[in-house]
Amino acid sequence: MTAAAPPATGSSAVAGAVEARLALDRRRRTRSGSELAVGIAIVVAAQLALSAVGGFPESWAVGLADWIDDARRWVINNQTTHWSFSFVFNPISDSIDWGLRTVERFLLWLPWYVVAAAGGMVAAAALGMRAGLLAAAGVMYFGAIELWSESLQTVALMTVAVGISVSIGVPVGIASARYDRLRRSLRPLLDAMQTLPAFVYLIPVVLLFGVARVPAIIATVVYALPPVIRLTDLGIRTVSPATVEAAEMFGATPRQTLLKVQLPQALPSVLTGINQTIMMALSIVVIAALIGAGGLGQVVLESLRRLFVGRALEAGLAIVVLAMLMDRVTHGAAGLGARRRRLRLMPDSLERLGFVRAIEAALGSADRALCTLGALLARPLRDAPGLASLARRPRWVLGLLALAVATLVSAVVGRPGFPSAISFSFAPAIDWLVDWVRDNLYEIGGTWFGTGWFSDSITIYAVTPLRELFSAELAWPVVVLAVALAGWRLGGAPLAAFCTACAAGLGFLGMWTLSMDTLAQVIVAVVMAIVCGIPLGVLAARSDRFERMLKPVLDFLQTIPSFVLLVPVIIMFNVGRIPGIIASVLYALPAATRLTNLGIRGVEGEATEASRAFGATRGQTLRKVQLPLAAPSIMAGINQTVMLVLAMVVIAGLVGGGGLGLETVKGLRRTDSVGSGFVAGLAIVLLAMLLDRLLQAWTRRFTPVEGGP
Amino acid sequence: MAPYRRHVKGQPRSHYIGPVVTTEQTPLECHEITKVFGDNVAAARSRLADGCDRQTVLDQTGCLVAVRDATFSVERGETFVVMGLSGSGKSTLIRCLSRLIEPTSGTVKIDGTPIGDLDDHELRELRRQRLSMVFQHFGLFPHRRVIDNVAFGLEIQGAARADRYERALEVLSVVGLGDWADHFPQQLSGGMQQRVGLARALCVEPEILFFDEPFSALDPLIRRDMQDELLSLQATMRRTLVFITHDFHEALKLGDRIAIMKDGEFVQVGTPEQIVSSPADDYVREFTEDAPKTRVITVGSVMRPLDGEAPAGAPVSLDAVLDDVLPRLLASPAALPVANAQGDVVGTVDRDRVVDLLGENSRSGAAGAGRSTGRP
Repeated sequence: MTAAAPPATGSSAVAGAVEARLALDRRRRTRSGSELAVGIAIVVAAQLALSAVGGFPESWAVGLADWIDDARRWVINNQTTHWSFSFVFNPISDSIDWGLRTVERFLLWLPWYVVAAAGGMVAAAALGMRAGLLAAAGVMYFGAIELWSESLQTVALMTVAVGISVSIGVPVGIASARYDRLRRSLRPLLDAMQTLPAFVYLIPVVLLFGVARVPAIIATVVYALPPVIRLTDLGIRTVSPATVEAAEMFGATPRQTLLKVQLPQALPSVLTGINQTIMMALSIVVIAALIGAGGLGQVVLESLRRLFVGRALEAGLAIVVLAMLMDRVTHGAAGLGARRRRLRLMPDSLERLGFVRAIEAALGSADRALCTLGALLARPLRDAPGLASLARRPRWVLGLLALAVATLVSAVVGRPGFPSAISFSFAPAIDWLVDWVRDNLYEIGGTWFGTGWFSDSITIYAVTPLRELFSAELAWPVVVLAVALAGWRLGGAPLAAFCTACAAGLGFLGMWTLSMDTLAQVIVAVVMAIVCGIPLGVLAARSDRFERMLKPVLDFLQTIPSFVLLVPVIIMFNVGRIPGIIASVLYALPAATRLTNLGIRGVEGEATEASRAFGATRGQTLRKVQLPLAAPSIMAGINQTVMLVLAMVVIAGLVGGGGLGLETVKGLRRTDSVGSGFVAGLAIVLLAMLLDRLLQAWTRRFTPVEGGP
Repeated sequence: MAPYRRHVKGQPRSHYIGPVVTTEQTPLECHEITKVFGDNVAAARSRLADGCDRQTVLDQTGCLVAVRDATFSVERGETFVVMGLSGSGKSTLIRCLSRLIEPTSGTVKIDGTPIGDLDDHELRELRRQRLSMVFQHFGLFPHRRVIDNVAFGLEIQGAARADRYERALEVLSVVGLGDWADHFPQQLSGGMQQRVGLARALCVEPEILFFDEPFSALDPLIRRDMQDELLSLQATMRRTLVFITHDFHEALKLGDRIAIMKDGEFVQVGTPEQIVSSPADDYVREFTEDAPKTRVITVGSVMRPLDGEAPAGAPVSLDAVLDDVLPRLLASPAALPVANAQGDVVGTVDRDRVVDLLGENSRSGAAGAGRSTGRP
């Protein structure tokens, strides 16, 4: 210690150092504050100088829409003669069509109980007996609401689309894991593909292939491809290098290493990729009803268009059932869900009851007996090459045999239709509910308060003023300038140039007003989602019980396709911009909440403990340790929130959300406005890229250590 | 290529863990192996040829010289230990021996065949038939049961399932894991996992086994068990082993010969006794300071040549280490006779000689404690 130093000079030296430090910090803070102030001043001054300019001059717009319409006409006129169609597009289209029709015909040919039993068996194998029974019931729901063939159409569409995605995606993923150059060139492409809202994919496909089911499949494949490529690549790359080295040391050929070491270890990751691909495919297959994909999406779309909310909800629920089934089954197959080994039918809490245990025990011994029988039947398979693994699964052998027998018997005896005794419809009840909500909740008890007030206030105080501000009051160069300044501050000159190009591009496309409308909706929805989502995430991080309660809700919100989410919101808020915004908030909420929760929980226990050991209160620990450390994750959540909101706001164009979404939908629906639809889609792409790049640059500033050794 | 023992499909394999058939060739010979990592290898090599040291090469070319001019050969049945601290290049060296890492220059001959000349197919055959490796972090396949891990080498060679399981079970029982065949590696403790790694390496009946710090991830007690087990296995199977470690005690315990490696170069190569009794430089001496000398140094190296009459009493063996004779020595005031393998008394050893040696030991040990060697 420096006890020998004279106390007076020592303390003054220390005080001087402290003073210098404080001054430095102050300067730093005022510098970043003054940068912001200067930025705002520049924007305000520009606005004052240019107040007369207003929105982007329409005469400056490039006539892209007309060119697209010309191209579309050319396509229609040359479809039968030009070589690119007869040798490239038409064969692709024909073979997909053939595949789709074959799958569909096969599924519809199967008797309903075989389909239900098959669904149940797959779920049971992946998740356990109880899930199997639920899945069978879920499949029967399709028939019960008299949407059997529509549901199976969607299943067929999914099967073909996912089949193509996986058979392209897995090999590409493997190749990209092996060749760094391929990976580097794929990355920006995949990034861009995942940034864009599903919808945007439909337009160029419509341009080339027209409106039908095949283009719907192609758009689905393109949209759903990235996750399976990415996760196959990731899975193989993260296989422990020691095991690959060991395989090499034992003289394995590259092929043996891939098949015996890398792929098996990457399998959970690959299956997660397939799971994501399936979920993305499902969400777009529904949207693809817009271009004539048929199936359940068509029913929802038609019903919404005619405001048959009840029917829309029935069909929407069928989509949810399908989504849950596919999600849980692939999740379970990826080994992510908890696997139940024992036979359980009832909730665990009922196991206290003696008769429940007795039933389960009886079922258990029946199961064992069946297994023995299955093993007996499977014995001849044991030596058959390729079927040996089947022989080790007696339940599968029995099940497949039973299905085959049932199918054959009904093929001979005649196929029974879905029994009308089981069918039901709750559409009338929902329609009644909609009326009741309109009569009672829009203005509760005849007062001013109610959902009507809620949506009116958002419209009057947030959406409309923002839209007016962006599209009319602010001069367009000011908006571009503001975006450019933000880009410059966050990412330097390249980002500023990129942002300027994107923002000005919106104007040159002739989509300025519509884009600003969409932007206003996005901003309102994002603010709402963040204001609700982050506190929920903080709460979930601090209380395990709350997290457990929240989890199923978030799971549900993330599983249902965006499109279906609109239906219940419409029940509450009628059609217009507000239900679109509310649905976007609901759709994006899980991302903000999950990543906040994850971020805070991911903070190292020791950091939190250290803070507590110094006597920090929980609030102090949260503010000074947990939130700053969780900032990158929270920012990633906000980034995702914005992208999800954008995707949803666009879809909300379907129910009167207006903006770019409506324009795109119009383009998809009517062949004469394909051009303007395409341009609107392009504007969505520009908007998405602009927001994504800005947010990513901002997120990077929160990442604590950049680079490293 | 040398006439490798090839397994012919359909014929029974020779199932035994015993001494391998010997040929005349030295099993492993390495001549001036050098490995340079970096983008500018050519420049680095010319600097090396000019005699620049490792740091200079790194500063001037940005290339890291991981191994430099390692020359050694290993006899059949010998355990050759390469000992060095982390970053000394020993893991790179052992990977050069099987071309898991391509050496920048130098030749590796296995049974007289330079392996640098082999094409991919021949190299694979070589690895399949003659080499095996045990890895520091085990390198077990987490998705395969223990038995499928052990049988992996045979599976790669295309052996029938029944054959390879039979052999794998045999090897598993040798390492004491016969009952664990159907478990997955994660269900086993670290020591058991490394036994699986060892079994996997032995399963293909390799003639040369490489061990890359196999026991350093294990607890000290387990490590000692595994060392003992390896010693007893080696006593029966007499394979050619190259063993990498950063633990000097382990090197002394296991090695027939030890190479001490520092900054990519061999500092000293010799038997444990040679290294402990005459360290080549201060770097090696620092390791030997707290080494258990009495367990390494043999009676033969401290005895006085017989000068006149042999003293009375039963003679001690020339090859015994001091530890074995210490109780008798300390108890007897007079010198003890030392006999060679034929039983002829060739010299004497007395208490003072050994006390001198031990005293030297403790003095340098105390001095060593003052300087921190950074080792436990």
